[in-house]
Amino acid sequence: MLKPGDPAPDFDLPAANADRIEHVSLAKISSELILLFFYPRDFSFICPTEVTGFNNARAQLSAENTAILGASVDDAESHRRWARELGGIGYPLLADQDGKLARAFGVFDEKEQVALRATFILDRQRTVAFSLACPLNVGRSVGEMIRLVSALRSGQLCPADWTPGVQFGRSDRKF
Amino acid sequence: MADLDTTQRKRLLERLSNVREIVFGVQDGVLTTAGVLCGLSGAVSDHTQVVLAALASTAAGALSMGAGAYLGSRAETEVMRGELKQVRAAAAAKPYVLQQGLLEQLAEEGLGREAAYRVVKLLSSSPEALLTTATVKMFGLGGTVLGGNAAIDGVLMGIAFAVGAVVPLLPYILFTAPYVGLAAALAATALTLFGVGYLEGWLAHSERRWPSGLRFLLIAMSAAAVGYLIGLAISPLGAAAG
Repeated sequence: MLKPGDPAPDFDLPAANADRIEHVSLAKISSELILLFFYPRDFSFICPTEVTGFNNARAQLSAENTAILGASVDDAESHRRWARELGGIGYPLLADQDGKLARAFGVFDEKEQVALRATFILDRQRTVAFSLACPLNVGRSVGEMIRLVSALRSGQLCPADWTPGVQFGRSDRKF
Repeated sequence: MADLDTTQRKRLLERLSNVREIVFGVQDGVLTTAGVLCGLSGAVSDHTQVVLAALASTAAGALSMGAGAYLGSRAETEVMRGELKQVRAAAAAKPYVLQQGLLEQLAEEGLGREAAYRVVKLLSSSPEALLTTATVKMFGLGGTVLGGNAAIDGVLMGIAFAVGAVVPLLPYILFTAPYVGLAAALAATALTLFGVGYLEGWLAHSERRWPSGLRFLLIAMSAAAVGYLIGLAISPLGAAAG
């Protein structure tokens, strides 16, 4: 699994985005940060809370100049139908059908043939700034991801449980 | 339309769920009594004493088998109900786990993932329907296992044993001449065992009813023959002890 400091692998994949099928290339994304999250499958009873959770957080993440990307091994058409089922998703769902992208990030479950529930935040240089993997049956905290994005963009020393508005740590007391 | 009458078919299936007790009881009653008649005919010369001993064996066997079936069935039902209770509790706490499990099961059985999702979503509008379907599809719990009646199982088993025991006993009582009664009892035993196998094939709507009868006869008689041979093999031990 890629860790902070590792360069993110490049990709150019078909995706469903706002009821359209299009291609999404890492090189063409201009936002400061990218929040890329992998999830096991479309049409699941556990994943929708995350997919819709990130959708509901679009405005907050957009305000933080952060693009959201979801990815699973389903094809783009399945993503489109799944997004419709969820009431519409306003960010791209990448079709990583062969799991190549998940493997490149080191989060492919070979036994289940699906991606792990993993999240990466990529910085402006498209280097991994944050990575996290959860078990297949445990959903992520969207709120925590927003907090992390804010913390990463602050460029400051953020103490434990830091949230926007709370005082930053003092750089002379790093340790 | 008669074939599609699901209510009637469900009732029939519930009744047929007792086939195990009936087949087991009849087979055991027939073979045990035939074995008792064979054994005692060689050892006891008085025909009446053999009949009385076989009757006593039949009564004891029927009661024992009935009690055994009752206790076994009750234990099975209790264990299954306990499991179902746990599944219910887990489903109440984490319904999505049950939904996901059912979805995966349906997908594994050939339903497309999207279709399986929609089926489970539809079922989820009724928690009871979701739970009932999930327990049957995922855990094999429900239906006849949970709806079984231990008392009926026990009574059926006891009656089946007694009915089976009558098969060799009746000709033995009617034909008192040496060996004639025994030969008639064994012939009736073989015929009944074949009949039970044939009936099993008929109930299963099988085209191969004769082979079903022969298979039943062969297996039951083989078991009896092996038992007899083991008895022969260990009889020198009894002589040595005496």
